[in-house]
Amino acid sequence: MSLYNGILNLTNWAGNVIMPTLGALCFAFAVIQFARGYHHLYSNWAYGGLLCLMVSGLLRAFERFTGQLGYNNPDLVWNALLQVVDWFANVILPVYAGMHVAMGALKFGGLLDVRSHHAQLDHTRHFLGAILCLMISGLLRLAEFFVSKGVGGVS
Amino acid sequence: MAPPQLVSDFIRLLLLLATPAAVICLVLAGLSLRQSGGPTMVIGGNFSKWMFWAIVFITLPGLLSWFPSFGVPASIPGGGIGTGWMANLQSDLTNFVQNFVVSRLATSLAAFYVLRAILETVEGGHPLPSIITAMFLLAVQTTFTLLRSYNSGGQYATTDVLDSLWNYAAGTICPIAAGLAIVGAVWNFATRRPIMPLVGATLGLLTVSAIWKLVTKMM
Repeated sequence: MSLYNGILNLTNWAGNVIMPTLGALCFAFAVIQFARGYHHLYSNWAYGGLLCLMVSGLLRAFERFTGQLGYNNPDLVWNALLQVVDWFANVILPVYAGMHVAMGALKFGGLLDVRSHHAQLDHTRHFLGAILCLMISGLLRLAEFFVSKGVGGVS
Repeated sequence: MAPPQLVSDFIRLLLLLATPAAVICLVLAGLSLRQSGGPTMVIGGNFSKWMFWAIVFITLPGLLSWFPSFGVPASIPGGGIGTGWMANLQSDLTNFVQNFVVSRLATSLAAFYVLRAILETVEGGHPLPSIITAMFLLAVQTTFTLLRSYNSGGQYATTDVLDSLWNYAAGTICPIAAGLAIVGAVWNFATRRPIMPLVGATLGLLTVSAIWKLVTKMM
């Protein structure tokens, strides 16, 4: 019996046994919230269910982010943050853009019943959101351009 | 002039009792792990105080070897205890700590901490600290063996053990704790609680050595 074995087995048990089981519960809650029309809640439970099934994958992703340089390289912290930002902006956001294009198309076609006071603008928001997701690097470069142009100050 | 037999035996007795004292310190460190408070109390709280004393007891001969350099002659008497009742006292106390404290008392206390984890969940608290405490109490003997394996036996034995312990925590325990932090982050996301502290903790736990190097580079 050692502390190392205890914590290792606790982590494995929590990540690979308990979380997938709770993932099923999250999906069940998502279905209930969807059926009751709580649109702001069901997506959270659905994403939560997906994440519960991906605990090991997420840990491997974080290990990948923090494993690009040597373990005792002082730049590793900055590099790990850079990897996270890069992954989020260039991998997750394009996928998210695709989802919003699909959502916008569905709402534009009137397939989803949205009864909010700004329903007419909903599909536009989805399309605009998709465009912004796809040009996040360009937006950053634009902001950098504006800031670099202003380093001389106001004359 | 050679010291009297009784004094030499008393010194031997105290040195031999350093091992059971270290084990008791480890048990007290385990108990402090839950009583001190949150995770930050692991460093700087009662837990680290008892861990430090356990290491001091394990590396006592190495520390005593500093005294000649201070001009104080402190030759450690070798061999076993010659006085019968002292030898019996040492043997009885060692047996008591090994068979009563470590094998039975620490196990029972660990079981109570598992129960406490459940009760804390009932109260809306977090069960993890009590579970970790129970694991630490169950692993007292292994932790003692681990600490003794880090003992270099020289003048710097205490700091060598502390260095090795830091390496063990940073290189072995922290990456596993990152897995637990991911589990916590996912659950917090599903239940609409803040996730960024746990995401930051995951990154931090996976880059402990790099953060240490970064701090030393900044100096």
